[in-house]
Amino acid sequence: MTAVSELSGRQPGAIHSALAVLEAVAHAGPGVTAQQLSDRLGLPRATTYRLINLLVEDEYLVRMPDLRGFALGRKVAELADVAHAQDAALSVRETLADLRGRIRGGVHLAVFRHGHVVPVDVDPDFPLSDPRRITTDLSVSALGRLLLAERAARTIPSPTRYTTQEGELTPGFGCLAIPVRGKDDRLVGGLALAMPAARLADRDGLLALVADSAVRIGPLIDD
Amino acid sequence: MTALNRTALSRAISDPRPVDGLPSRSPMAGLDRRSLGFVDVLAQSVGAVAPSAAAATCPALVAARAGSGTLLAFLLAGVLMALVAYAINQFTRRMAATGSLYTFAARGLGVRAGFATAAAMLVGYGFVAMFALLGAAYYTLTLLRRTEAGVAGSEPLVIVLLLVFGGVCLLVLWRGIRISARVTLVIELASIAAILVLIGVLLATVPPTAFSAVAVPRGVSGPELAAGTTVAITAFVGFESAATLGVEARRPFATVPRTIRWTVIAAGGLYLLSAYTQLAGFDAFGGSLASSSSPVNDLASRAGVGWIGLLLDAALTCSFIACALASTTALGRVLFSLGREGIAPQALGRTHRRFRTPHIALAWGVAVEVAVPAALVLFGMDPWQAMGIVVVCAAAGYMTAYALVCVATPFFLRRIGEFTVGPAVAAGVAATGLVAALGLDIWLEVSGPRWLAVFILAVAAVGALLAYAVCRRTRTQALARIGLYDEPTPKDVLGGAP
Repeated sequence: MTAVSELSGRQPGAIHSALAVLEAVAHAGPGVTAQQLSDRLGLPRATTYRLINLLVEDEYLVRMPDLRGFALGRKVAELADVAHAQDAALSVRETLADLRGRIRGGVHLAVFRHGHVVPVDVDPDFPLSDPRRITTDLSVSALGRLLLAERAARTIPSPTRYTTQEGELTPGFGCLAIPVRGKDDRLVGGLALAMPAARLADRDGLLALVADSAVRIGPLIDD
Repeated sequence: MTALNRTALSRAISDPRPVDGLPSRSPMAGLDRRSLGFVDVLAQSVGAVAPSAAAATCPALVAARAGSGTLLAFLLAGVLMALVAYAINQFTRRMAATGSLYTFAARGLGVRAGFATAAAMLVGYGFVAMFALLGAAYYTLTLLRRTEAGVAGSEPLVIVLLLVFGGVCLLVLWRGIRISARVTLVIELASIAAILVLIGVLLATVPPTAFSAVAVPRGVSGPELAAGTTVAITAFVGFESAATLGVEARRPFATVPRTIRWTVIAAGGLYLLSAYTQLAGFDAFGGSLASSSSPVNDLASRAGVGWIGLLLDAALTCSFIACALASTTALGRVLFSLGREGIAPQALGRTHRRFRTPHIALAWGVAVEVAVPAALVLFGMDPWQAMGIVVVCAAAGYMTAYALVCVATPFFLRRIGEFTVGPAVAAGVAATGLVAALGLDIWLEVSGPRWLAVFILAVAAVGALLAYAVCRRTRTQALARIGLYDEPTPKDVLGGAP
């Protein structure tokens, strides 16, 4: 597809903006004009017009007979997968925001990729204390220990309910991680709660708080 | 997933709502809508430009006017045409219109400008087609002269050749746009290849000369340079004709602008290369490009490869036929569009039921394209002289249409609420350059040997004014409709027809 070849890897922002334009047209309904889109998205005029015309070239947008307004093109239906992924990302964000509102402490989401911990949604109010060690050394973080426990469980089949660490990364603070499972019960990620070590004592209370969220996120990040 | 946490985009996809305000049929229905790929659209522009014929013949014509400023004149013409292409693409990215330039001008400046542009386009496309038919006849005669010396100059033979070539064009065009586009492209590519072979051979044979000896202008006056630039512009005209296939192109908003942009760039490159080769050749062998009547043949025989001349005559004949095909295609689409709007007789707006071509418009177009040059020949002109006359008319038509579209560009963008400074400045510069070059050219022709061209242009202008007066009286509603373009139908949008 030409649009993809013209948007080189150096312009990832352009793809975001293009999707934002489609989203804005969907939101506004048929007939929305280029100026209105530019105002709504807060993008510069020239940039908006260029994006819109690229989307018209590839027929994701259709110019209405008055030449001023736009509607979504039939080809947008081909974006169903993208839209689904967008929905999933939105749902994950909402679930995490909900959790963060109910828990006094940090809530982080990480996925496991090629045997590594990859943080994908870090609580903005509680940054990771040592991101590099967490991503390289599985044994120091609760999230990494989830992965180690899962490997051990292959020989002793007993599903891990949670893992913890206390004071490994920051003295006096600790972390509780629970598995996030996708289809076929496969371990796809982990949800970590970071808080003062003393408050981690109430394991069952914390698990009850986050269990539902982990179940909801599982299918959304399983790809 | 609940309805709450879904984006508006995915709601629109899974539950599309109907879009109001779309016509059930495009005003351009009947044409083979959305059928042509990139290659076929490219073929239209490349064919109309006929770059191989222009690359072989134009440098000498430019050199006769601009002397040592020849390369500079080609460069100026290339820049000017690139600016025009940029302005035209502001429209082609936003609407698909069979009427091309005149639809654009009407959308930016209103009915009168649209009508004037339509007249200018008919003159431009029509006279280029005549030029091409004459050129094909001329180079066929040159070919025949190689075998039988007495053939040249025979009046009835020229008329017969014009009729035959006109008939071939009509036959190909009537049968369908896809066949004619493919035929055009194959012919033109073959003759470009022949030109490139010749350039390669010449560059290898000719002793290397200092680049500055032929590239730097010395003692060229402004008017001379402007006249050279005008002739160089005639080598480019036609690049915009892909826009007349906007309705028939599969992805018009992508393929048409791309075709227009790349045709100008590629043709410019070819012309600079060809002009430089010819200048360097004459510089090395002695003599002057300006005074040679068939410079490429001269150079080929001096470089010891006279056989290329034969190849070239055949290639140029083909290139001119391709040019006639492409120009008639464009002319036919413009007549068709005028017929659909009711400005020209309604019959011109009909399409062939099986081939889906505007067959009546094409037939009338070809008839005029054969009749005018035949008349010039019957009045005692040889094909070469007649070509000199019609090419001036064609250039004037094209440049007028270009200038009007450039002026229309900023107004159009403001009207649809997408005005930005860049295109407005480019269009302004282009319009100024075109008006200056055309004005100077007409001024020179009035007092020169081609006054007849100016007379024909004056007749065409008076004819256009009369036609406009008639339309104002009897076809008011049709005039109000000028500038029809392809409108999306429900099946193009999400949530339209199933």
